[in-house]
Amino acid sequence: MRRIVARGPSQQHTLATLTQHPRIDRAVVYISQWMEDDGTSLVRRLRDGLRLVSTVVQTFAESTSDYRRLLDVIARSVADAIPDTCIVMLRTGDNLTIAAIHDGSGSGDVDRRGLRDRPTAMRDAPISADVLARGPLLIPRIDFDVLRRQMAPSSVAQLEAGGATGMLVVPLAAAGDLHGVLWLLRHGNGRPPLDELDLEIVMDLANHAALAISNARLFQELQRSERLRAAEERAVQTSRLLDAIIENIPDMVFVKEAERLSFVRINRAAEELHGKSRDEMLGKTDYDFFPAGEAEFFVAKDREALASGALVDIPEEPIQTPGGERWLHTKKVALRDSTGKPTHLLGISHDITDRRRELAELSAAKLEADAANRELESFSYSVAHDLRGPLRAIDGFSQALLEDYGARLDPEGLRYLARVREAAQRMAELIDDLLTLSRVTLSDLKRERVDLSALARSLLSGFQRLEPERHVEIVVAPDLVTQADPQLAAIALENLLGNAWKFTSKRTRARIEVGVTESSGAPAFFVRDNGAGFDMTYGDKLFGVFQRLHTESDFPGTGVGLATVARITSRHRGRIWAHGMIDEGATFYFTLTEAHA
Amino acid sequence: MLDRVIVLVEDNANDEELTLRAFRKSNIVNRVVVVRDGAEALDYFFARGSYAARPANEVAQVVLLDLKLPKIDGLDVLRALRADDRTRLIPIVVLTSSAEEQDLVRSYGMGANSYVRKPVDFTHFVEAVRQLGLYWLVINQAAPQ
Repeated sequence: MRRIVARGPSQQHTLATLTQHPRIDRAVVYISQWMEDDGTSLVRRLRDGLRLVSTVVQTFAESTSDYRRLLDVIARSVADAIPDTCIVMLRTGDNLTIAAIHDGSGSGDVDRRGLRDRPTAMRDAPISADVLARGPLLIPRIDFDVLRRQMAPSSVAQLEAGGATGMLVVPLAAAGDLHGVLWLLRHGNGRPPLDELDLEIVMDLANHAALAISNARLFQELQRSERLRAAEERAVQTSRLLDAIIENIPDMVFVKEAERLSFVRINRAAEELHGKSRDEMLGKTDYDFFPAGEAEFFVAKDREALASGALVDIPEEPIQTPGGERWLHTKKVALRDSTGKPTHLLGISHDITDRRRELAELSAAKLEADAANRELESFSYSVAHDLRGPLRAIDGFSQALLEDYGARLDPEGLRYLARVREAAQRMAELIDDLLTLSRVTLSDLKRERVDLSALARSLLSGFQRLEPERHVEIVVAPDLVTQADPQLAAIALENLLGNAWKFTSKRTRARIEVGVTESSGAPAFFVRDNGAGFDMTYGDKLFGVFQRLHTESDFPGTGVGLATVARITSRHRGRIWAHGMIDEGATFYFTLTEAHA
Repeated sequence: MLDRVIVLVEDNANDEELTLRAFRKSNIVNRVVVVRDGAEALDYFFARGSYAARPANEVAQVVLLDLKLPKIDGLDVLRALRADDRTRLIPIVVLTSSAEEQDLVRSYGMGANSYVRKPVDFTHFVEAVRQLGLYWLVINQAAPQ
């Protein structure tokens, strides 16, 4: 049993104050010496103490959100107030840990780094344990011999080395929680020993500190649970988003557990494909839904994906559904746990039934088109062979008539006969031009290096040889080189230059120019003449089959040539266009490559 | 004494008459044997069927062969003639309406000696036949029989 020993005028007051405190009724205060004091000093100390308490309480309140800082604030405030060294020890289960130290003496009494945060078992800290169990302890003057019986020798040595002369230990208790103890050490240095007033002030501070600790812990707890709740909320949101993504992927998504390969997850597209709800499907295997052969195939591919660790791609697989057979493009991959062991199989299937059907239709259409083309080819052949036969007869027998019976015909009869022959020959030309047009359409396009300059010069000198009496100024730009089908390019250029040659036939100073400019990033070659030209109003008729802008008597022609050129440019993914003006000449531009957008 | 004939393989009566007229106009006096389909042509050359009794001294100086023929077409006739020792050296001129590149290539590939497209203009036709006759009947030195 400890005794409170008090002497001097303040005794009654101190005891009264102390005993008002619920935790101090059992407080034992050792007072080995009561300092001489008059009332004035006491009142001043009380006032200072009260002021201090209110300031400190404010500081505590502001530090609630930062638990660690709060502990430092407590230690510093108490140490400043007394002023002394203050140690805050917190209890965790059966351990005590120095959570904050503040050296108010300025003497550097304790090895802070060595002591802080190191848990000490309760049984190795008998004074703290005693204060926790029974209430505050005030030792105004330390008798180290006595202390050595109650404290671990190392702790006593430390106190002794630090020059501690007195100590005050109070519990940090609030609302039934014992958070720990507050140690206050007084060092000699001529200071008065600790007394009941110090005890009272420290008790008061300790109670506020304990409350602040409770609050801070509560706050911490709250924060933690808030963080947890937020994390949970985030997790729920993420999972909801993932669910929405999986559900809304228009491809069938399914997950099977790795062991039995039963479905553990499917999405809406899977339900729709199978015509079954997920309740009907989950927990079941492929064997429950598909013919044995099909199920075996699926499962074999599942096992392959699980074993290989690589994505297994099944470009086409048939699957029986209530809506009939469907075709899928499926990819399967193993899902693994953190150790790399496959736990699930993830599959994604894209329904390619429609695309497959379209492809089949397309290839059927292509076969048909090819057949039609072949038919057209043989038709063209027949046209060449069979239509020319009768024409030859018309012309031949007209000629025979002329030769054998010409003498019996009058001039009008002879003229008619000449018209018959002309018409037959013109029809032969038409047939030949149409044949060229069909060949241009049907032949394979082989791109090679084509020197249009050389080609143009050769064609033009050919025309010149046929009509040596004509004088035409010819300008061919050098190095007009392109990648094109040589035969088709030759046909195109022959037609364009043939036109230029023909339509400048009535010019005394005829001029034909071949060159290149640029259109939409592609070289546009051109053939320009100063011939009869044409009316741009009818420009769209230039490239149609059998479309002519000049009469046969002015300029002979079949009306197939430019259509052929247009066909050739379009087969090269190029285009053709023209500028012209009546009597001012015409320029035909053409490209043989795709325009760069 | 050999009877050097011209063999015209032609199914079109108009073309046949015009060709014969062209020969006449070109003063070609050789006898012209006309056969009107591929099968008849082969019967003639191999002296079988209705031609089994063909005189042995009758030899073709030149054959004018149309490509588009009933029963056996011109290219098959050509192939058969070139495959047989009795006929493989006979000069054969393909005379046709077709200007198809593949017909040209195939004809020469199978051993045609010449390829002439029948022009529609009869004046040109006569000229073509005249030159053919001149070359194959007069200028060309035939392989020994």
